[in-house]
Formats: sequence, structure tokens, C-alpha cells
Amino acid sequence: MDARQGGDGSGIGLRSPHVAEVLVTRPAIGWLEVHAENYMGGGPSVRALERIRREYPVSIHGVGLSLGAADGVDAGHLERLAGLVDRIQPMLVSEHLSWSTIGGAYLNHLLPLPYTDETLAVVYANVARAQDRLRRRLLVENPSSYARFEHSPIAEAEFLNELARRSGCGLLCDVNNIYVSCRNLGDDPAAYLDCVDPAAVEEIHLAGHAVNDADGQPILIDDHGSRVTDAVWRLYARGLARFGPVATLVEWDTDIPPLAVLLEEAATAAGMLRTAGRGGDDARAA
Amino acid sequence: MPALRELQAAFGAAILADDERAAAAGVRADGLSASARLAVYRHHVFTSLAAVLESTYPVVVRLVDRRFFGYAAHRYIRDHPPSSPCLFEYGAMLPDFLERFGPTRHLAYLSDVARLEWAMNAALHAAEAAPIAPESLLASPDVSLHPSVTLLSSAWPVDAIWRANQPDVGGGTVDLTAGGVRLQVWRAGDEVVFRALSPAGFAFRDTLARTHGLEDAAVAALDADPAADLAVLIREVLDEEVLV
Repeated sequence: MDARQGGDGSGIGLRSPHVAEVLVTRPAIGWLEVHAENYMGGGPSVRALERIRREYPVSIHGVGLSLGAADGVDAGHLERLAGLVDRIQPMLVSEHLSWSTIGGAYLNHLLPLPYTDETLAVVYANVARAQDRLRRRLLVENPSSYARFEHSPIAEAEFLNELARRSGCGLLCDVNNIYVSCRNLGDDPAAYLDCVDPAAVEEIHLAGHAVNDADGQPILIDDHGSRVTDAVWRLYARGLARFGPVATLVEWDTDIPPLAVLLEEAATAAGMLRTAGRGGDDARAA
Repeated sequence: MPALRELQAAFGAAILADDERAAAAGVRADGLSASARLAVYRHHVFTSLAAVLESTYPVVVRLVDRRFFGYAAHRYIRDHPPSSPCLFEYGAMLPDFLERFGPTRHLAYLSDVARLEWAMNAALHAAEAAPIAPESLLASPDVSLHPSVTLLSSAWPVDAIWRANQPDVGGGTVDLTAGGVRLQVWRAGDEVVFRALSPAGFAFRDTLARTHGLEDAAVAALDADPAADLAVLIREVLDEEVLV
């Protein structure tokens, strides 16, 4: 199966409040993405996903595999993911460059990693194991960060490029996460983006973020609770000029708005994708 | 022990145990203190998991007040963090926790209300299984109950408490001295439902679930109530499509 079968263009993250409406109204959208961990049981939500899959290409986005765990990925969880992938036959399967499990506990967050040779070896082994079991290429997403480690000598983009080169995984470039991390850590988002290997990028994520106060300092929180900001749209245009028209997803997870709002955001992305498809110069001017 | 394993153990302690000493030393401050940066992660872990518990236990939230529930949830998350990333499975131990937790120990019915809500959550996400058709019952020596079924016995009228605390129900009082109840919770189609069972009906299903044998179940039902009508008990499990 072609990894991008029917999935070119823009899509939206499908969340439970919109499932029934999508099934009834069948909006014109390229594809849909769901969080893997919400569909690892039985019942009505899983049956609805199977109906959705008959109408749309679906991408499966995991949040719990913990590819950065020094303990290794959990074999039982990987089996459940493989079962879901077998059943849904998604167009893409993605996970994060982060960790969330320690000593058998699952900390519900995409926690940061120090970018070292040791970490690269750990993440490589975990990605390779996941790809072997799933018998397909995994996309790995850059996380949003609120902290970095004293000893972290490799730049995140370089770390991801090297991970893709060694493991054969693709990259999911979350443009909002680049913006949030760089603002929180004092880096330049454009310089980060320009470092990402265009050949490895197979999907882009867009979302909104919040600006909170931490001890009197502004800190950007990747809450997926508002429209994509102008600065992130500009960064996205720069990304399209560099990567070409890569399948793009709009995510919204808190204060979920009416479906129409997500479709508007996805239409904006689709317009920019069409421009990018006609040539990089147009996209750069967008 | 490799450095990454150590770092993750320290980070985990900073989040779950409020012990930042080891983790903060490795985090770069850069304008914002390491402690403030760790707090961003801790805040998200606790608020997101508390939101999961709130959505699984809405009646308990209503009974104890949302702010108090948040306090109890924080303690629960520290003591019982999730063991799986599938958060629809998170919170199974909350009923036992509430039974032991000092501030709620005196609310004797609270943990059984929580058990009912957990059973409803489990039913919603339980695996699929095809029910036995009436005509193939005799050819099925090994029968059991559908994976969505929980049988719940309480000394309190937890079904009435649950109904009186739904969002669309205003006020109403529940007679806590009304006595106990035996319930079956299950998924019927896309809906999670529960109903009260007779002592014989409860014994029948409970024994069926444990022994997988109709004969043992029938004996248990008659032990519970010698006047029980076995034909009715069997027809009910077939009609409810909970026999698999």
C-alpha cells in the first residue's frame, strides 16, 4: 500500500465530539488522524473508527509508545498498536521523540530527552523494534519543549535527521512544536526548520498554542486549544517551500470548537499546499 | 546504570514525588528556573490525569464536590500512576482508594458508587464478543458472560444514588436506608446500562461467569431462592445478549 494513498492534502485530527458529525456530513477533507491509545479497546468508538476508515484515509498517531524510554518500549503496548494497525490499515503511523514511561508508570506527557549519543542509540533501538513489529515505516515527531538538559550536545533537528538516516523512519514535522520549543528555549524557529532533512519529512502538524506566565516570564504551552497563529502559518509556508507539499494535519485537543472551525483551518493549509505544489517560490511568498 | 535511565528516574521523581533535587541539577535554567520548567511538565501530568478521572467518575465528583475531588485525585495519581498509556483503563483502583482515604472513609457508600462508575467505564470499552443464539445454547457446553458485564453487589442503593446525581436531575433525595442492591452492568449495543437482579438472578450469572457451566449456575440460583424459575433466568441472559 502506498504510504500516501489518498492522503495528500490537508486533514484534521479526529476527536470524539466530531465523530458522529463526520460520519453524517462526510466533509470534503483529505484524511483524518486519530490517537492510537483511544482505540485499543472495544465498543462504539472503535466501531465508529472502522466506519470512518471505509470513507477516509486514516493516520494513526501514537502518544504512548515512549520511544525515548531507557527501559525500552513496552512489548504489550507495541502488540496493541500492531493489532490496531492491522485492523485499520492506516496511511501513516507516527509517534514522538519523547519518553513517558519509567519503572512501569506512565507519565501522561511527552517528556524531553537529552540529545546525546546514548539517547540516539536508545531511540534508534526502540524505533527499529517498533518498525520490525509493525512491518512498516514509522514517522517520528519533534516534541514541544519547556526545558532542555545541561548535557544535550546534539541539536534536535540534527538528532532527528540522524535517527531517520539510521533507522529508515520518516519525520513528522510539527511546525507549531518547533515554534513553541524555540520560543521557550531561546532558539530561532526558522533556523531549526532549515536544518530538517526535507527528504525525511512525510507529514506536517499544525495547531494552536497558549501563552502562559511562569514566574513572570512568558512560556508557550502547546495546548492545541486555539487557531494556528500567524507566526506558525509563516513558518509553515517556509516549511512547504523547503519540503514541498507534504500531507498536513490540523490538531485541536482542548476547548474543541465546532467541526467547521477545524475544516476552515484545514482549508487554509490546503490552499497553501496547492500553492506549494505549483512551485516553491509561490509558497515562500505566501 | 546508564545515564539516560538515571535521568528519567530523576525526572519521574520530580513529577510524581515532588522531589526535584536530582532532576533540577540536569535542567538548564536559561531565564526561567529549572524548577519552573519542571513545574510545567508536572502541572500537565496531574491536570490531564485528573481530567481523565473526572470524566470516568462524574457522580463521585458531584457527591464530594469538584474541588475536593481534585485534591483526592492528586493523591491518587501520586499513589497509583497509570501503568498503561490507554487512559480509558486508568482509575480502576479509585474505589478502593476512596474506601481507605481518610477524608472519604466515613462516606460508606462512596466507594460502591465509584465501583458502579468504573463498571460502566469498563463496559463501554470492553472487547466485542458474539452472543450465543438461543438455538445453539444446548450445543455450547462452555458458556460465559459478555466481556462488558460486571456484577456488582452493594449494601447501599447505589443505582438510586447514581440516578439522582445525573446532570439532568435536579435535587431529589435518596433513602440510604433503603437497603442494598445487586446489579448487572453491561453494554447493550452502543449504550452502557445497568439493572437490578434478584438474588437468584445474581447467583445464576455470578456462578456462570466463574464456572462457565449452566448446570452449576442453575444449582446456585436454586440455592439462593428455591422458588427461582430457571427458564426465566436463562431466557433473560439470552434476551440481554450477555451469554457468550
